[in-house]
Amino acid sequence: MKILVTVKRVTDYERKVKIKPDGSGFETEGMNFVPNPFDEIAVEEALRLTKEHGGDVVVVSIGPNDATQQIRQALAMGAQRGILVQAGELDSDAVARVLQKLVEKENPDLVLMGKQATDDDANQAGQLLAGYLGWPQATFASKTEGLESAEEKAQKPGVKVADGWASVAREADGGIETIKVQLPAVITTDLRLNHPRFASLPGIMKAKKKPIEEIPVASLGVDITPKVRVLKYEEPPARLAGVKVADVDELVNKLKNEAKVI
Amino acid sequence: MSDLFNPSEEHLALRKMVADFTAKEVEPQAEHHDRTGTLNRELFGRLGELGLLGITIPVEHGGGGMDAAAAVIVHHELSKSDPGFCLAYLAHSMLFVNNFFHVSNDEQRERYLAKVVSGEWVGGMGMTEPGHGTDVLGMTTTAVRSEKGWVLNGTKTYITNGPDAQVFLVYAKTHGRISTFLVDRTCPGFTTSKPIKKMGMRASTMSELIFEDCQVPAANMVGEEGGGLVHMMRNLEIERLTLAAMSVGIADRCLDIMVRYGRDRVAFKQPINRFGQIQRYIAEGYAMTEAARCLVYNVARSVGPEHHNRLGSDAAKLFAAPVGKTVADYAMQVLGGAGYCDEYKVERFYRDAKLLEIGGGTLESHQKNITKDLTRKLD
Ligand SMILES: Cc1cc2nc3c(=O)[nH]c(=O)nc-3n(C[C@H](O)[C@H](O)[C@H](O)COP(=O)(O)OP(=O)(O)OC[C@H]3O[C@@H](n4cnc5c(N)ncnc54)[C@H](O)[C@@H]3O)c2cc1C
Repeated sequence: MKILVTVKRVTDYERKVKIKPDGSGFETEGMNFVPNPFDEIAVEEALRLTKEHGGDVVVVSIGPNDATQQIRQALAMGAQRGILVQAGELDSDAVARVLQKLVEKENPDLVLMGKQATDDDANQAGQLLAGYLGWPQATFASKTEGLESAEEKAQKPGVKVADGWASVAREADGGIETIKVQLPAVITTDLRLNHPRFASLPGIMKAKKKPIEEIPVASLGVDITPKVRVLKYEEPPARLAGVKVADVDELVNKLKNEAKVI
Repeated sequence: MSDLFNPSEEHLALRKMVADFTAKEVEPQAEHHDRTGTLNRELFGRLGELGLLGITIPVEHGGGGMDAAAAVIVHHELSKSDPGFCLAYLAHSMLFVNNFFHVSNDEQRERYLAKVVSGEWVGGMGMTEPGHGTDVLGMTTTAVRSEKGWVLNGTKTYITNGPDAQVFLVYAKTHGRISTFLVDRTCPGFTTSKPIKKMGMRASTMSELIFEDCQVPAANMVGEEGGGLVHMMRNLEIERLTLAAMSVGIADRCLDIMVRYGRDRVAFKQPINRFGQIQRYIAEGYAMTEAARCLVYNVARSVGPEHHNRLGSDAAKLFAAPVGKTVADYAMQVLGGAGYCDEYKVERFYRDAKLLEIGGGTLESHQKNITKDLTRKLD
């Protein structure tokens, strides 16, 4: 089976992002960039699926030229080839439209994506892509057996594929719900689907020779006019100092009349 | 896209991988193995899966195909969390694997290389003796030719991985000249002592190697008879460089700990980093760490199987080793009682750091070598 996996270049979630003084964006100077952690899980799942069923994993990133680093990392983990769509910041809708074009070109059996990117946490691109393609979707894929299970230790996929259908355990509000979708489909990954592998040194050396196709976004003929306009970035308000209350009555009173939460 | 510290995109990818692995897998287990004085054998095997155990071995021989700068990167990153574990890695990958590969023949590589590159076997190297450390040429372990091979007698001491390794590169005298041997743990007449207890670097183990009429097959002499001195000297460069890199890793970590603590700890109603004395520890610690980093990575560019830089590798270790120790000391001072107790980990790095002024050559031996080499340049 052929799997298309998306990998977004995002700011390192372990470092604090600084907003530019004029609120127009983030300071990128000295910032560390990493693959979106949910996408790493998607890459890992794709590698496990192709190990079990045969086939190829194609990694796609939409972003600046430096995003080849994140593509190479996925290639070092074991994916076969990469595609970089050279573009500036796009909103989720434009990303879905660009991906739609690539899917039509590549004809994968499955598109695996992170459920969201840790930079803007939009959680939309996968759903929009499935909508544009008219494909079934299964979001928030998880592993019923859990991350401490023997299945996980044996690096088994959590998504079970058989006879042209994928069975996906998804994290819903009330617990885990298992649904079946017919392939081709779009599946987005949650945190508890797998532990992604580290790229090995031989993997890194092999990745050097794997092809990455570069496609300028303009050449795809996709309408990427933003539907979401970012007006301004600002820091969340700083937390105010707490207060000590004398007794339960005062607490209840404050919750009722000041915080107005009960 | 390349700089002194990451000479190529692959070096950068390697650094990211090792840093990620260190944060997720090495850091959480470090304290336990320091306390118990044990090698984490399972984690060591993971280094094999990641392809790090044969990092300097050419790809066509099953290795990572990388250079001294890459070896420096791995030691630097691992030592930010667990210098003790990194020392076991160094004794295996630098003292054994790298040395072995460059001096062995095809038949020997066939027998050993896959086992040590995968991590199925741990390796170690025996040079130091109870009576001869810095004065290594005075070693008294002997190897005498027998019908089937060689008979070794003598004792090596302070041998990292002694209790855990299956195979050792051992230097012994044949007809008064130093030769190199491969000694398996199973060789008749070979034993190791109880583990030797030490101040730091406790996540790697150490023991004596004892040879009592130890029978070594003829096929286990490495290189030519009398070739040991050259083997030993050639390999010392990358050994010293990677030991120096460990010191930079320790300094980086201790600096990070003290900068955070300086911001968060309040005394006399203000963060302690407002005090000039604390600023001096932080600023000088940073400056010396940066200097050590630049020197180590700069020397790494000129160390390899084809080029040599003994002066550089001696200078790198002479300069970097005290930096790790000093920055750990500064961090402990900035943290006060919290630094002396175990919660902030500084006390562990402090204990580990000292080894780098002794192992792989004492500071004094580097001073001796550098003076000799510089003087010889005048001729
Ligand atoms: C944790 C640890 C791990 C080690 N791992 C290994 C290993 O895996 N394999 C191995 O072979 N060895 C290993 N060693 C041994 C290490 O290399 C020696 O300890 C080191 O070379 C110093 O030798 P020594 O301890 O005999 O000290 P000595 O040589 O006795 O030195 C004692 C003091 O005298 C000084 N001195 C000696 N000669 C001179 C001189 N000519 N001029 C000025 N001062 C001098 C020294 O600098 C030192 O201050 C390890 C040691 C430690 C502590």
